[in-house]
Amino acid sequence: MLTKFETKSNRVKGLSFHTKRPWILASLHSGVIQLWDYRMGTLIDRFDEHDGPVRGVHFHMSQPLFVSGGDDYKIKVWNYKLHRCLFTLLGHLDYIRTVQFHHEHPWIVSASDDQTIRVWNWQSRTCISVLTGHNHYVMCASFHPKEDLVVSASLDQTVRVWDIGSLKKKVASPADDILRLSQMNTDLFGGVDAVVKYVLEGHDRGVNWAAFHPTLPLIVSGADDRQVKLWRMNDTKAWEVDTLRGHMNNVSCVMFHAKQDIIVSNSEDKSIRVWDATKRTGLQTFRREHDRFWILAAHPEINLLAAGHDSGMIVFKLERERPAFAVSGDSLFYAKDRFLRYYDFSTQRETQIVPIRRPGSTGLNQSPRTLSYSPSENAVLICSDVDGGTYELYMIPKDSIGRSDLQEARRGPGNSAIFVARNRFAVLDKSNNQVLIKNLKNEVVKKSGLPVPTDAIFYAGTGNLLCRSDDRVVVFDLQQRLVIGDLQTPFVKYVVWSNDMESVALLSKHSIIITNKKLVHQCTFHETIRVKSGAWDENGVFIYTTLNHIKYCLPNGDSGIIRTLDDPIYITKVSGNTIFCLDRDGKNKTLVIDATEYIFKLSLLRKRYDHVMSMIRNSQLCGDAVIAYLQQKGFPEVALHFVKDEKTRFNLALESGNIQIAVASAKEIDDKDHWYRLGVEALRQGNAGIVEYAYQKTKNFERLSFLYLINGNLDKLSKMLKIAEVKNDVMGQFHNALYLGDVQERVKILENAGHLPLAYATASVHGLQDVAERLAAELGDDVPLLPEGKKPSLLMPPAPVMCGGDWPLLRVMKGIFDGGFDNIGRGAADEEEEGADGDWGEDLDMVDVDGLQNGDVTAILEDGEVGEENEEGGWDLEDLELPPEVETPRVSSNARSSVLVAPTPGMPVSQIWTQRSSLAADHAAAGNFDTAMRLLSRQLGIRNFGPLKSMFLDLYSGSHSYLRAFASAPVVALAVERGWSESASPNVRGPPALVFNFAQLDEKLKAGYKATTAGKFTEALRLFLGILHTIPLIVVESRREVDEVKELIIIAKEYVLGLQIELKRRELKDNPVRQQELAAYFTHCNLQLPHLRLALLNAMTVCYKARNLATAANFARRLLETNPTNESHSKTARQVLQAAERNMTDASQLNYDFRNPFVTCGATYVPIYRGQKDVSCPYCTTRFVPTQEGQLCTVCDLAVIGADASGLLCSPSQTR
Amino acid sequence: MAGNPDHLFSLRNNFYLGSYQVAINNSDIPHLSADDAVERDCLVYRSYIALGSYQLVISEIDSSAATPLQAVKLLALYLSNPQDKESTVSSLKEWLADPAIGNNAILRLIAGTVFMHEEDYNEALKQTNAGGTMELHALNVQIFIKMHRSDYAERQLRVMQQIDEDHTLTQLANAWLNLAVGGSKIQEAYLIFQDFSEKYPMNGLILNGKAVCCMHMGNFDEAETLLLDALNKDAKDPETLANLVVCSLHLGKSSSRYLSQLKLTQPEHILVKRASSAEGSFERAVQSVA
Repeated sequence: MLTKFETKSNRVKGLSFHTKRPWILASLHSGVIQLWDYRMGTLIDRFDEHDGPVRGVHFHMSQPLFVSGGDDYKIKVWNYKLHRCLFTLLGHLDYIRTVQFHHEHPWIVSASDDQTIRVWNWQSRTCISVLTGHNHYVMCASFHPKEDLVVSASLDQTVRVWDIGSLKKKVASPADDILRLSQMNTDLFGGVDAVVKYVLEGHDRGVNWAAFHPTLPLIVSGADDRQVKLWRMNDTKAWEVDTLRGHMNNVSCVMFHAKQDIIVSNSEDKSIRVWDATKRTGLQTFRREHDRFWILAAHPEINLLAAGHDSGMIVFKLERERPAFAVSGDSLFYAKDRFLRYYDFSTQRETQIVPIRRPGSTGLNQSPRTLSYSPSENAVLICSDVDGGTYELYMIPKDSIGRSDLQEARRGPGNSAIFVARNRFAVLDKSNNQVLIKNLKNEVVKKSGLPVPTDAIFYAGTGNLLCRSDDRVVVFDLQQRLVIGDLQTPFVKYVVWSNDMESVALLSKHSIIITNKKLVHQCTFHETIRVKSGAWDENGVFIYTTLNHIKYCLPNGDSGIIRTLDDPIYITKVSGNTIFCLDRDGKNKTLVIDATEYIFKLSLLRKRYDHVMSMIRNSQLCGDAVIAYLQQKGFPEVALHFVKDEKTRFNLALESGNIQIAVASAKEIDDKDHWYRLGVEALRQGNAGIVEYAYQKTKNFERLSFLYLINGNLDKLSKMLKIAEVKNDVMGQFHNALYLGDVQERVKILENAGHLPLAYATASVHGLQDVAERLAAELGDDVPLLPEGKKPSLLMPPAPVMCGGDWPLLRVMKGIFDGGFDNIGRGAADEEEEGADGDWGEDLDMVDVDGLQNGDVTAILEDGEVGEENEEGGWDLEDLELPPEVETPRVSSNARSSVLVAPTPGMPVSQIWTQRSSLAADHAAAGNFDTAMRLLSRQLGIRNFGPLKSMFLDLYSGSHSYLRAFASAPVVALAVERGWSESASPNVRGPPALVFNFAQLDEKLKAGYKATTAGKFTEALRLFLGILHTIPLIVVESRREVDEVKELIIIAKEYVLGLQIELKRRELKDNPVRQQELAAYFTHCNLQLPHLRLALLNAMTVCYKARNLATAANFARRLLETNPTNESHSKTARQVLQAAERNMTDASQLNYDFRNPFVTCGATYVPIYRGQKDVSCPYCTTRFVPTQEGQLCTVCDLAVIGADASGLLCSPSQTR
Repeated sequence: MAGNPDHLFSLRNNFYLGSYQVAINNSDIPHLSADDAVERDCLVYRSYIALGSYQLVISEIDSSAATPLQAVKLLALYLSNPQDKESTVSSLKEWLADPAIGNNAILRLIAGTVFMHEEDYNEALKQTNAGGTMELHALNVQIFIKMHRSDYAERQLRVMQQIDEDHTLTQLANAWLNLAVGGSKIQEAYLIFQDFSEKYPMNGLILNGKAVCCMHMGNFDEAETLLLDALNKDAKDPETLANLVVCSLHLGKSSSRYLSQLKLTQPEHILVKRASSAEGSFERAVQSVA
């Protein structure tokens, strides 16, 4: 039983789940009805109008209503939205036991101690039927979920099924409803609307509860005889099927489970029992210490149950609903029903892979809990709670698609098991607090104690375990037996690693902790409701789900809600803005989320401002939340880009120091306060222009004047003087005059203001004698005495350092997008700080480790030695562990050498190659050059090996790879074999891998053609010769390929010969006859069509120029026969033909008769007409005049002309 | 055997996996026992040797140092002075005959290594055959592979697997043997190197191991990628260069640059030796056939 929620209260007598919302109603013995949110665990409302215990309560399916019935004989219908009772239905004459809404009609059924069942219409608020027949208290009554039936249970020891079909007909004609009502009242006892269909007798005591099966014609009942009975009915009768015995006291409530084939009952014996409905055996019992159970309720849609007892109620689930799954790359493996299934994220297709064992006892919570997958071995480990914790190991067959038979899984006991390496898994042995490392044959390879008491292990990278105990998790390196990381946490339920295995999210019931792989804490998130699942996206954002939300958390600890959820889901993978998840039914789903917000925040965090900028431009990212976030995170300048409201904009601009935008905003707002603040900021930055502007706008003349003074802007200052004069501001005038150093003006102002003595003093001090005299005259006797002995001087405004314009501006961030450098600097500073923090953390860790080592170091060492000796048991090696001083070694060293019978060295692979093969290439690769040469000589008559040297060397070099094995020991050369396949058996040597292959030659051929077309004849010749030189060392597989190779020899030979002829022709400058002949022979080499055309064109031109018109005409004809694609070629050819027709003669005699078929001698370049004697090259088959016999072939440059040869051998298939 | 942290574990591991510089950099481990400290020093000096810093080792180890360190110094002497191998070998033989120290595991290991260089496998086996440490067993495996006796190598490997199947050396030796016997075992070797690459930072040795597997499986393109990766990490690693030569040959690309680089950095490399001896044997073969 998985308790989801518990309350403490007075005795709970009635319970009802809300269909949609996470609410439950509990009616109490004290008369109160409570409305709880069981997800959040809060009391939403209480309804306290009943007088005395409330025994029945029920939510309406769709309306915001519920009904309750109590010991005050009242049935009340409430509206929970209005928080009040709408009306009360009166009629029962004793306690009301249960009330229930009809799922469709506006009816309520109620059962009462007055021995009646009543059906009410809550719309007309009247009783429409009274069902009489029970002769004791009716303890419960309920509608059938589909049919027109009511089942009731009574203390008269019977269960009754009532047919209410006629009631429906009555409602069909509501017009006479009222009429009927009166009629009904008349036949109150012995009503005709609802009749008893069956009376089920069998219980020996009063029956407390009876309930229909949701789909089948079954009824279950529970009674004071401590029995639960199962009844079946058909159209005509009903009968008892079976009895479930086990309760020790009165059974208070019993019901069928809607989704599973089970019956749940509870009783005053303080237990809830779960029964198998088919086998009719008890499955599980949950007991409470002190509380008798009174009532059960099932959620109409999800797998939740509730039970009311003496001191409150519990909301619970019988079984875990989380499907066990494991993600690996693009694949998801999960267990559903009785199968292991596979889901491909990219194709979104799912397949059933292997059937998994169905637990022998169909107990509850025996389904797979966790699943671990090893991709390279294609193996799956499934853990379940069967037999107190069992794991099963399944190997997924390679051709996994489709069904395969149930394989006997390897299994064993263990509380949790996970793969820790490709072919190793760890099984937790809780009782000894150790892990067993096993191989895929389920054999224990190693045992290792665990550093902390562990109740579950999780994957933590290859060779590491994450061990969980109640209040901490530890990352433990199995090989080093070292604790790598350690963190105090709440009880961790799930562990989710990031894709790069650098970060891990530890999910507990109400919190998520993100740490790095060494469990250094990064941030913690708390949730008020349960955390369900999570996955990392590609950017390092952790996306997680709670019961009702999808949320994100960023590496810096920011989090937020992405969307709300109706039903809990289990995230399997996040890819871009797609979330893959499994729901509670084990179905794969994809959700598309709006990732903009967190991607935006992440970009800000990572200082990817280009990203930020493009997101701002391209999306409608806006809202106060984002602005507030940006402001709070110190990015007012970014926020600026979102804001339309001028005042906010102005504030943000000031905060980010963006004067331009602030000015623009200030203009829009145009009020004094903003101008003032603008002025202050501008002054801070030293932007005098804006300061001036702001002062002007606020008409702040004093400040303005002072600003001009500072700036040395005397013109404007005198303007200010005038303004002050106009405004009649004497003080201002005087100030300005003073700033200007204008004595006359000052005197004038003082005079005008009536301060004659001051005016006089000013004038006389500054030596304005005439004015002073005039004033003295005006003052008469009142001429003030000027102090003697002082030397007056004129106060002149100092010349400003900078005149006009702005001062050097304060460096402010002008918005990250144009002031990138500033930011980088700033960012770097931040990072340094962070770095320092990190170091600190690590230092502390070090100290911890040291402390531990100091204590145990000797013990550890001793242990270690003992361990080693034990491990090497059977290897008589104790002496090696002895210190050198001991006197025994001589013996042992003798023993050592005497024991040794050094094996004779085996046969090197290259030797095997030469023994097995008669292909020259294989011998060359093996380094046996002389045998290779003999083979070539025998097969192809090759005598000149010079051109083959590099090929031989390359073959040899390429036949071995090099493996650095033990440090400082010589490198191991490994023979590389060709034709490797997965199924090749080891220790059976294949032939050597060769560096030349046919495909390369094909490439070369193409390159040769291309060079020929481009007229690069030397290059082309080199390529074709290269082909000829490589072919002797080529190895192909099939006979067909052998033929291709042979064809290739001919092609290459023709080109080599042709190109040699053509090159020879070009050398001959002074022999036009020979030139023509060679050009003509060239056209008789077997060339590709485009090349033939070029050769013909060439020969035609040569002959035409030499006035050999007839021969030229022949070439022209042949050229036209090839349908030249180039128009100019055909045109020239036609012209030549025309010219030749006029004069069909040759100027000079050529050794060339095109009518007579011939081949050209490869050495002398003379035609060998058919029937003439010739000799040929045994390899390239070029023909020669007989005199050349015994010479080296001039075409292939390898073989001797006319030598004996057995023929090309280039495939093992030829020798088979 | 439960719960004893192994202080030298990562040092050893780095050394075995060829991350010599990392091993040296992280060798400052506090609170070591005297034996552990000697082992640590041995590993550090052997790392230096593997990096080619022979003189450093020769000068830093003085005559008062422990036997294992003296043995390490001997190896440095042997490798640093190819002309005067005889004297080193003879003093090695002398030490081995000394009953007081002749049984030291490191000394025997060094002896095995030196005799392997001398291609005197019998003598090498004499010293290492008895085993005793994982390193000796691993060296045995390598000697047997060199002798083309994979059956014996397999037996040694079994011994190692019995001792500790998950030991880095066991895994490595397994990979060597898999490569040596070829066939379907190549895949297993690849998986072993793949495991290493997941577990530890990629380095030249692991990359080369994977690349060699790829080459043996005929997948030269992937091998080239891996090798170029390795070349990025260490442009002078002789094995990387040698394997690149082989790989380029098979891909039909020019290998001459890698070859000349290899000739520069390690003229004694087996590939270079093979190539030059091949030239000679080619000429001889031409003579004999002609």
